[in-house]
Amino acid sequence: MNVLELKNISKSYGAIQALRDVSLAIEPGEVVGLMGDNGAGKSTLVKVIAGNFAPSSGDIFISDQRTVFHKPLDAQKAGVEVVYQDLAICNNMTAASNVFLGREPTRKIGPIKIVDYAFMRKRSAELFARLKSETRPRDLVHRMSGGQRQAVAIARTLLSDAKIVLMDEPTAAISVRQVAEVLNLIRQLSDHGIAVVLISHRMPDVFEVAHKVVVLRRGELVADKKASDSSPEEITGLITGAIETA
Amino acid sequence: MQKKDIGLAVLIIVVGIIVYMRNPLFLSPINLGNTANLIGLFGLFAIGQGFVIMTGGIDLSVGSVIALLGVLFVDMVGKFGVPWPLAVALMIVLGVAIGLAHGVLITRFKLQPFVVTLCGLLIYRGIARGYTAESTAGFPFGSNYPQLEWLTIGRSFGVPHSFVAMLIVAAIMWVVLHHTVFGRHLCAVGKNEEAARFSGINTRFVTIAAYVICAVLASIAAIYFAMFTKSVQPSSHGNFYELYAIAAAVLGGCSLRGGEGSVIGIVLGAVLLQELQNLVNLLGIPSSLNFAVMGAVILLGVLADQQFAAYRNRKNTERALGLLQKS
Repeated sequence: MNVLELKNISKSYGAIQALRDVSLAIEPGEVVGLMGDNGAGKSTLVKVIAGNFAPSSGDIFISDQRTVFHKPLDAQKAGVEVVYQDLAICNNMTAASNVFLGREPTRKIGPIKIVDYAFMRKRSAELFARLKSETRPRDLVHRMSGGQRQAVAIARTLLSDAKIVLMDEPTAAISVRQVAEVLNLIRQLSDHGIAVVLISHRMPDVFEVAHKVVVLRRGELVADKKASDSSPEEITGLITGAIETA
Repeated sequence: MQKKDIGLAVLIIVVGIIVYMRNPLFLSPINLGNTANLIGLFGLFAIGQGFVIMTGGIDLSVGSVIALLGVLFVDMVGKFGVPWPLAVALMIVLGVAIGLAHGVLITRFKLQPFVVTLCGLLIYRGIARGYTAESTAGFPFGSNYPQLEWLTIGRSFGVPHSFVAMLIVAAIMWVVLHHTVFGRHLCAVGKNEEAARFSGINTRFVTIAAYVICAVLASIAAIYFAMFTKSVQPSSHGNFYELYAIAAAVLGGCSLRGGEGSVIGIVLGAVLLQELQNLVNLLGIPSSLNFAVMGAVILLGVLADQQFAAYRNRKNTERALGLLQKS
């Protein structure tokens, strides 16, 4: 079974063809490194998968079912979660509040519904434990390290029972030690059967966690191969066009 | 209570003790009653302003709303004999309409809150002056409205009902801000609107709601002020009141950058402002220096708060480093 399958996805903006006949299958728990130079179509592909916009042609299958996303919420409901590059978290709130942002649990006291802080803290502590992260639910996010902030953003995706998590440059702006932390988080997701699409420019990070590497060049898929069968040199060649396809 | 609130409460008590030592009349029942009344009146709309500030916006129209709705309310009840409960309801409806207009202009038409509400300030004040042709609106001689008066300017056990009303509003808004989903979303929208939107929060609704809350509380305050002054002079009634509200909210820990604030803090901010007014009167400082005293104390307060925060941060960092070195 494939958790996500793309068949002949094309996307054009007017005369510009951003994606051309991209086909790709991802299994549960698989970590896919999505690579490509700037403008190769990585973000477009991610936005198509996340439901930000519809492909011009081609089909998307989630768990082998053909699916059409009209808006990001549709994709979210189908189990596709996105961790944005700037993480989309609120610095002024606690880790627990951020995990539950937009999905706050409530309990009723008489006629009024109040936010169930105790449940939020308990549940997010469980999620952080599952991610083997030392993030504490009560801590304010603005006091956290980049790695812990990633943990918060990733815990959000666990909350909704995601099948596939798209991560846009999660290791771009953080320290070396925190990169290791984030890569561990990705492995945790994978161990829980969640597929991860890792968009990154950083070759070593991709080769450390990815099972499979996919390369886009000028809107076309030029490689889709096991990380163990490839090498950073080959991928660099594919990205730049020194090697045609693999 | 947050740390900032406690600091503010301490400041209020310290200033109180100093004023009391210079002039024992400070703690006389009459003075406390009058000050409580003013705290109630100003606190009512300061809470609304605080909500708007927490979204990262600002509402400059509050004083003009208080003047316009005050004029309308007095005329309706005094001149046209509209039953007061109906007039109160109409004022609140007008408040909702004004808040909606501000919110929609800001969220749909993407105008800056400062500009929208600055125009509001001019427009509402202008309408109030035009409608009355600059003459003072007042109740007819000898008229009285026992129930309305009891609700607004009445006192129970010496406690003015305006103060009680403010406490009730504050309690409700405290629950709304700190314990409802809406309150969570308000803080999120104020700090990081994009993140809130990505999380599926209807950010437009949240922002509009904040402006509606502000305008409705201003309209309730307008009724209380109109009943308190008994006559409304359209060109001076409520002048600069938006600035009192902003001052109270900022003193109370609301960040003008949005996302931060507490209802208890705003109420304490309103208390401190009125205490300072009172100080000027009781210590025989010329009342023309009123604004200067207020401005200086707010400036010192905010400066001290920032210095304390920086000091706390340094201490925390040092402690953390110390722990690291030990381990």
